Amino acid sequence: MMNAESNPGINLPFPRMSMLKVQGLSKAFGANRAVDSVCFEVSPGEIYGLLGPNGAGKTTTISMLCGLLKPDAGEIFVAGAAFSADPQKAKRIMGVVPQDLALYEELSGRENLEFWGRIAGLSSREAKSRAMELLDALTLADRAKDAVKTYSGGMKRRINLGCALLHRPQLLLLDEPTVGIDPQARLNILEFIGQLRASGTAILYTTHYLEEAESICQRIGIIDQGKLLAEGTLSQLQERLGRDRLFVVEADFKDSSPDAWDGFNQRFRVIQRSEKQLVLAAIGARDPSECLKDLLGLPVRVENVTLKRPSLNDVFLQLTGRDLRE
Amino acid sequence: MFRVLLAKDLRRAWRNPVPWLVNLALPLCITALIGLTFGGYIESDQIGRIKFAFVDEDNSPATTYLRGYLTATTGQAAEHLEPLFVNRETALQLINNNEISSVFIIPANFTIDYLTGRKSVALELIKNPTESIHPAVLEELLGTVVTGMNVASRYFQFEQPEWKAAVQKGADPRQILELIERAGQRAQMARQYISSPLIGLEKNGSTGKTKSNTSESGTDGGFNLFAYILIGMTGMYLLFLAGSGMMDLQRELRIRTFERYQTLRQRTWAFLLSKVVFAGALVLFGSFVLLAGGGLIFHIHWPQPLALAALMCAYASFAAGLMALLAVLAPDERQANSFNYIVALSLSIPGGCMFPAGALPDFMRHHITPFMPTAWFADTARELSYGNAKFTWILVSFKLVLLSVVLIGAAAFFLRRRLKTGART
Repeated sequence: MMNAESNPGINLPFPRMSMLKVQGLSKAFGANRAVDSVCFEVSPGEIYGLLGPNGAGKTTTISMLCGLLKPDAGEIFVAGAAFSADPQKAKRIMGVVPQDLALYEELSGRENLEFWGRIAGLSSREAKSRAMELLDALTLADRAKDAVKTYSGGMKRRINLGCALLHRPQLLLLDEPTVGIDPQARLNILEFIGQLRASGTAILYTTHYLEEAESICQRIGIIDQGKLLAEGTLSQLQERLGRDRLFVVEADFKDSSPDAWDGFNQRFRVIQRSEKQLVLAAIGARDPSECLKDLLGLPVRVENVTLKRPSLNDVFLQLTGRDLRE
Repeated sequence: MFRVLLAKDLRRAWRNPVPWLVNLALPLCITALIGLTFGGYIESDQIGRIKFAFVDEDNSPATTYLRGYLTATTGQAAEHLEPLFVNRETALQLINNNEISSVFIIPANFTIDYLTGRKSVALELIKNPTESIHPAVLEELLGTVVTGMNVASRYFQFEQPEWKAAVQKGADPRQILELIERAGQRAQMARQYISSPLIGLEKNGSTGKTKSNTSESGTDGGFNLFAYILIGMTGMYLLFLAGSGMMDLQRELRIRTFERYQTLRQRTWAFLLSKVVFAGALVLFGSFVLLAGGGLIFHIHWPQPLALAALMCAYASFAAGLMALLAVLAPDERQANSFNYIVALSLSIPGGCMFPAGALPDFMRHHITPFMPTAWFADTARELSYGNAKFTWILVSFKLVLLSVVLIGAAAFFLRRRLKTGART
């Protein structure tokens, strides 16, 4: 496990203290190990992205973190205190935005916000004023009195987010909050989440959108089949592959194998291989032009060689052998 | 917290009232349909005027006298009977058009055959199959007439030839007067045999006791078929209504709002209790609409409204508790829905809500119905509508409340067990 203290690349505006610390978290449903010994930490003012495909164990992890599921093993600490010691105290600190739209469609946006504010422990007056604040912040003030069932998908997502914020949580758990909405609505939500981070909220953000994780998360954990395969900042994860570049070689690889080429495996690491394409990372600190020359000299008829920056998908590909978008 | 949850549920129900209104409208419609088809209501211990066709194919002096008696504008016959003197074809046409309750036919030569004893005689009664009370009353009345005629034929058989002669030859007043005088003397001699008190049959205490009660209170306590049906329908549909109310728990599990609640609150008892109270409030509102509104629509008089209200409160708590347990046990909303309907029907049919308990099979009537809370409610409410259940309602209400406490406790236990490993089950 890596953490921010060992990562010089992270620049957090708030003092280091884990708002959420997860140690060896596990959950199995029968023979299926949905979450397997997952460990990570989230600090105030940090967005920690949990990136993985559908069924990777992201929602199960969040469900355990907020007390909806009882872990089979592992410990959860919220603001330094064990969750299991005083779950109600931990729940007062955290806000949870579920993947599903957990809203009352017959009620208006304002009524939904006020209701969840009251449930979070606010007085009637506090809930009303906070609801108005959030409606302004979420740019929904003009539709405050309309029933939620008349809202667009993006508006419902914003209200869904707002319902978790009434009590100003210090820790926010967001379970794929932008699923199924248009790019503009997604951008609005991501901007709002950025503002929350800037105000010092610790945010755990699960997603299967690479672009979201790359753009808003300070640190990213890659999860697949219940296991946290890697974590770190985007540059740290990219470095796992080959500094800041990958080589994409296009040729006919049907009848030839890189393993058979003399010394190839000592100079390059194969990230992805198909009949027409090889994605490679150079081993060691080598000059790109030298690498290109090397690749053009391969015993196959090379049609094209391109350079690209490693993406999170390449990292995922390298870790799991599968494309995240599959 | 509890108040906030309840207010939210009531507000949601107010915004989407269709499901609840359907459950309120249906029993009223069914009551109206059955009541109007099979009889309706009868005011002030009266059976109402029975409209029937009188077909006189005999045309003898005796039947002419009978027709004269029936057309009289005063007396008991005029008060209860409304005969239409028509021929057979017209009578059958009228009954086919559902305009009369029965057709009474005196066949040709009936009087002669009766008086001479030449052959056995029969009166004909054709009942309207779409009515129940009026044809039955007329049948009973005719049965009495037939019995009386049989008695007369036995007792006055020696004088029948003279009666026959008088009838056949035409009415000689002196001869008829003599015959009547002799008949009177014979009747005087038989007085000791016929003056003993008659034995009657009393059903549901709705004749004697009710009569005395209503005469004291000066209120209307006659049998009302609408009231009988409405109480049964109310018992059944209030279970459906409670089921719809408690289904909201399953709905909140489906739309994940219950999970969201759990991310903010550790204890779930307030959530469950608010749902039970919400369902109970719906049932109470429903019972008010059905019994008070139904009372106005169908002219039903409730002699003991406070007792009925207390009974309704107890039944509402039972219905909400039962449906809470079912909602907690059912794995999902769809199955909960089916489960609710099956259980509600299983309680309503043996409980005498759909059919009179007396019409149920023996085994069910004696071994199952007495243990049905629906039967406790329906029987007691019907007794209350007759003005009879002076103290029974207290015991029944207590039993229902006790049962509801047990059911709500069981629901809380099973919900807690279900959530022990997390809400996502």
